[in-house]
Amino acid sequence: MAPTLSLDAYTRLESPIHRWQPRLKLVGLVALIFAFAGVRQWVLVLPMVVITLLLYGLSRLPLRFLLQRLHYPGMFILAVVLVLPFASGDTVLWQWGWLSLYWEGVLTMGLVVCRFLAILTTGFILLGTTPFLSLIQALRSLGLPALLADMTLLAYRYLYDIADTLTTMQQAMRLRGLGRSQRKSSWLRLDMRLMRQLASLTGSLLIRSYERSERVYKAMRLRGYGVSTRRPAAGMPSVDGYSYWATALSLMLAATFMVVELRGMGR
Amino acid sequence: MHIPDGILPAQVCAGGYAMTGLATWYALRQINHKPDPTAEIPKGALLTAAFFVASSIYIPIPPASVHLILNGLLGVMLGYFAFPAILIGLFFQAIVLGHGGLTTLGVNAVMMGIPAVLAYHLFRLHDHFDRRLPARWSLAIFAFLGGGLGLGITALSFFTLVVATVPADFDSAAEKTAIVGLLLTHLPLIGIEGVFTALLVLFLQRVKPELLKESP
Repeated sequence: MAPTLSLDAYTRLESPIHRWQPRLKLVGLVALIFAFAGVRQWVLVLPMVVITLLLYGLSRLPLRFLLQRLHYPGMFILAVVLVLPFASGDTVLWQWGWLSLYWEGVLTMGLVVCRFLAILTTGFILLGTTPFLSLIQALRSLGLPALLADMTLLAYRYLYDIADTLTTMQQAMRLRGLGRSQRKSSWLRLDMRLMRQLASLTGSLLIRSYERSERVYKAMRLRGYGVSTRRPAAGMPSVDGYSYWATALSLMLAATFMVVELRGMGR
Repeated sequence: MHIPDGILPAQVCAGGYAMTGLATWYALRQINHKPDPTAEIPKGALLTAAFFVASSIYIPIPPASVHLILNGLLGVMLGYFAFPAILIGLFFQAIVLGHGGLTTLGVNAVMMGIPAVLAYHLFRLHDHFDRRLPARWSLAIFAFLGGGLGLGITALSFFTLVVATVPADFDSAAEKTAIVGLLLTHLPLIGIEGVFTALLVLFLQRVKPELLKESP
């Protein structure tokens, strides 16, 4: 689990996308992501793919980063869309017994896969070029409630520690014989003893986390958490011209996608 | 049970975000009515992280294994905190592991968070049955129902959304059959989630009962 958890591995690179201020980058790229999610016409697929490739190239993120992150969701989407060419449509391309391959299904599958790749890649460009704390700060400045921001930051802070605790606990349980049942395991049969052991493992993990949260809360209170103080007005960082134009361009592109899509639907 | 990016139409994604906004507002309102809402934040945050990590535990059912969703259990333990906890957990899953997605975060949060809050209300009914049934029994039964209901409603919403929105030209009878069929195949998983929740609640009742008590 540990290598995939490293979110900030490439956030210190130098690139035009890294230079884009987090708050404006969030607005610009999320607008593009939603515009891509609305694509239903093939005429928009090529511009969507070109924009995504251009953004990824500009971000200077290694290809390895993207491939590693596409691995799991890619498998899921394939499982969902591979059914489409055989299940939906009227124009038969190929037939073998009861199995038919439909042209409309192939088109829908292509569209879903391109849209999926464009949205995910743009999302990973945003996450790969912005430190996690700056991202939460940007969300907070855009109206994310303080309770959600605090919970997210605290959960992120302890995620790695709790993952390590679970690994240690699982190792300790394995050394004490977890899963080595006397009975031979049979197919599709639930081992209740093992279920009880796994429930105890999860319960212990929750109790440890809860007890830790009590200590964390006391430490936070001692440092003044929850005491309302009048903070000096933290002025928004000034918007640099580069970030301003990059955001304006993204919003224009997103708006163009939406207009073309709406016109196409009206026809 | 996570809908990935690129599958749902933009309108559905936007609707999911609107419903998530409303549900988050309501959950935060309930939380802010508590005497000291800030005291609950570290508990909610660390349990969110713990649930995120615990969802990687696999239950072996030879020849395969399944992993749990635990949204019913989250509701049982966290009450209204379960909704923000699920929202944050899903955000981490989308950005760290690639489960779910950023555009579908709202839809996924509604699909898992609202059943979690319903599971919480269902579980709290055990207080009314404590006199009629042995305490451990009522706790186990309502934990089972809460855990099962959490996953059951999530599974039903998931199949309905995927089957109804992905293949545009399925007829409604075929859609209905597909949804019912998929739900029936998942009944054993719903049972496993319920049993696991009941076992875990009984363990907590024995070891740390205050984790199951409703905070004032």
